[in-house]
Amino acid sequence: MFRRSSYASVAAGNAAGSGQSQFAAPTRPGAFSHIPNTNSTPGPQATHTSTSHSRHHSRTVDAEGHHNSMSTSWGRGGQLPSYGSQFGSLNSYGGSGQDGLSPSFFVPSYLRGSRHAEKLEEAHKAKFVAQRDFRSNHSSNAGSLSTSSSSVNLHKMIPSHRGLTHDIIERAPVFVEEPVAPWPTRWSDTDKYTMLEVLEDGREAKFTTGAQKTHDEAASVRANYHMPRQCGIYYYEVTVASKGKEGMIGIGFSGPKVPLSRIPGWEPESYAYHGDDGQSFSNTTSGKPYGPKFGTADVIGCGINFRTGTAFFTKNGVYLGPAFKDLKTDRPWYPTVGMKKAGETLKANFGQEPFVFDIDQMVQAEKMSILSDISRTKVQSISNKDKTPQDETALIHDLVAQYLTHDGYVDTARAFSEEIMEESRSLANGGDSSFMYMNADEDLDAINRQKIRAAILDGDIDRALKHTTAYYPSVLRDNENIYFKLRCRKFIEMIRHCSELNAQCHPPTPPSKRSTASNGHATDDFDDFEMELDEGLGTHNRTSTWGTENMEMEDELGDKEAKLADLTEETIKYGVELKSEFAGDPRREVKKALEDTFALIAYETASESPLAPLLETSGRLPVAEELNSAILVSLGKSSSAALERLCQQTEALINVLGEDGGPGAFINVRRDFLQ
Amino acid sequence: MSSSTVSVSAATPTRHAFQRRIDDIKPSKTDINFVIMDYLINEGYPRAAQKFAKEANIQPLVEEESIQSRVEIRNAIHAGNIEVAIHKINDLNPQILDTDPALHFALLRLQLIELIRTCTLSPNADITPALTFASSQLAPRAPTNPEFLKDLELTMALLIFPPENLSPQLAELLKPSLRQEVANRVNEAILASLGARREARLRNLVRLRSWAENKAREAGKDLPAVLPLGLNDDKGEDEDEAMNGNGGAGDVMVS
Repeated sequence: MFRRSSYASVAAGNAAGSGQSQFAAPTRPGAFSHIPNTNSTPGPQATHTSTSHSRHHSRTVDAEGHHNSMSTSWGRGGQLPSYGSQFGSLNSYGGSGQDGLSPSFFVPSYLRGSRHAEKLEEAHKAKFVAQRDFRSNHSSNAGSLSTSSSSVNLHKMIPSHRGLTHDIIERAPVFVEEPVAPWPTRWSDTDKYTMLEVLEDGREAKFTTGAQKTHDEAASVRANYHMPRQCGIYYYEVTVASKGKEGMIGIGFSGPKVPLSRIPGWEPESYAYHGDDGQSFSNTTSGKPYGPKFGTADVIGCGINFRTGTAFFTKNGVYLGPAFKDLKTDRPWYPTVGMKKAGETLKANFGQEPFVFDIDQMVQAEKMSILSDISRTKVQSISNKDKTPQDETALIHDLVAQYLTHDGYVDTARAFSEEIMEESRSLANGGDSSFMYMNADEDLDAINRQKIRAAILDGDIDRALKHTTAYYPSVLRDNENIYFKLRCRKFIEMIRHCSELNAQCHPPTPPSKRSTASNGHATDDFDDFEMELDEGLGTHNRTSTWGTENMEMEDELGDKEAKLADLTEETIKYGVELKSEFAGDPRREVKKALEDTFALIAYETASESPLAPLLETSGRLPVAEELNSAILVSLGKSSSAALERLCQQTEALINVLGEDGGPGAFINVRRDFLQ
Repeated sequence: MSSSTVSVSAATPTRHAFQRRIDDIKPSKTDINFVIMDYLINEGYPRAAQKFAKEANIQPLVEEESIQSRVEIRNAIHAGNIEVAIHKINDLNPQILDTDPALHFALLRLQLIELIRTCTLSPNADITPALTFASSQLAPRAPTNPEFLKDLELTMALLIFPPENLSPQLAELLKPSLRQEVANRVNEAILASLGARREARLRNLVRLRSWAENKAREAGKDLPAVLPLGLNDDKGEDEDEAMNGNGGAGDVMVS
């Protein structure tokens, strides 16, 4: 838990790093300065390149955070149902739907589970965590302004200090490194022709009466964001709410600079399917026969397959075939609709609702064909050892064996090696020994590392610390943050233990009321923290003394209670020690971790508190892994096993293959291959 | 072990931008451990799976028993005891071979190869058992599928040529890799019959890695000349042969 929040704080720090000025002056003026910014530039999204989106994000994270700490009504602005009131009102800013990250965040059905959707969701969550983070910081720590700016400096320094970053296991927040392009969520309030009105939370576009200057004049509107090619396939649908008199309606997409006074398809850089004649238009006023005409109540879908560079349309759930090919996929295409006569009204579905056409199936089929392509791939690798080509099976054996040894799973490595030997022996059938390649190289280090890991996984941090200090004295000295995490983990284990004992002493009895009475201790000498400790843990003692009124199990209970009391005292002592050791540490993640850890004490039954995830034993593994890596590095070995590197390379390659909407866009390494 | 204390992450000026992207990705150990466990169970390494469950503190996904029978069948095929293997498969679930004639034929052909292998060990050995088996077991099945017929004809050719002087195509049949291949197919069929995944995730992951590199290179993405995995090389990645221009020596994946 605290690990998560700590990277959230890293996120906040980094976000601030990229748009520092906000963080340095995080007060109202900074926050407000964005409003005119958003409203006065007409159609900012139209001119934004994808890189400017990233700035947009970090800015929003920051600004939103401040808003929330200033006044809650601002935060709620985002949930106000009506975007109808046009700019000038604060809603259009507060309705951060413009960012695609509004509280009403949605994932179109065909993108669920995709890597891009995950990234956007992560960015979305990170924003809220950052807000919460800021709020808690703000309320609990008056000096937060100065610390946050100092942490900015710290985070800016880290990347040059590779040794340090290496130890941060957490997945770096995605939006910091590469902008995550949001998908369209609504028609733009600003990137539209004046005779169009945008209604219904931006979902509806309506042609209002106005004096048309020329016969040709029409009115178009673009969506707030372009169709992200990282989706592989992007698709949206439009329902013709009313076709007006002639049904001169065009549905399609266009570049950001295409004039909006014409129906899409007629201008260069615009493509559309027209309702009055059923023709498809690309960049010119002469169309090509494409599909049926459409009118009131028809649902028209428009999609781009960025992998193949083609676009297609659907009508009432029926696929109409490819309409355009050889699309340039390296530029932003905005969903665009245009119309010509009063009363014409179109309602868009960007994925907020189920689609009429089974686009999910189409995307799935695309993905399946790629996956089967992958499973047919013949793998060969060239071994370092004897320079002979290895087949897939041999490579996998090596990868597994090396991983097990590298990460210190000594017993497993031994068992695996034996089983492989047996297999080879029966295969070799006497003589042929080409299959005898396995020999788990068991070195002393592997065994030592195994001991340390086992200790941490058992929750015995003291033993782990003892072993580490004995075998690798420099590691804890050189990796202070790991040392810190171990110390924190020990504290958590102590609380865990207390909480377990406590549960034994108090089998499900009516939840004892938390005493609010003064606890009679002389508190003068204690600092705030200790008071908290006392209040939290002290109650256990008190309730237990009251609890012994039922005498049956008194002896056993008494024993346990005595133990609990001892342990509690010990825990408090340790906590004080821990706090005094690290209190002066300026690092934001250290502060955050301390805060979270100590917050556990505030709960009478920590295991039932919202912070319970901190107590889970699954939190031991990351600590163990981090220490293991640090030891490996100190031994001059690679900190990651070959299999791990293979995962890294794969993910990086898939990212590269997906950024431009290529086949990688359809693959989610984690979901499709690791889970 | 070299005593060099070169930090893995010491930034070298020649570092490729893509290398940084690789380093920025932090795979989850939990995921990797899961993939390892999946592999040990799927491909039948029960003792390792048991140890791993303990050492990595994760739940074994299935009971050991179901692995054990697969291991026995695999070992039987690997050792050339095809008859034993077929019995065991039928004990487990007779449907498996009934519904997959190609797999059944592959096993029978393997059995024929083993018979021929025994027959041809000595120059004057009796080849009748092999002939009888071929005509009673394989010949009736061969006409059902042109592939079967071709395979059978090829196999029978083993009887004609002396074992030390075989064409590569024929020599292939006597290699352990054929047993391994059939054993894998059997394992997949059993897993499928149990409603489990046919193949270990790790296999597809390795293929994905290979595929992705091919595709990225085809698409002209800016990648380092080689992407070494660092197998058998417990040193820092930056000192890999790749960096010294000694390309091809690294354990790179090719296809």
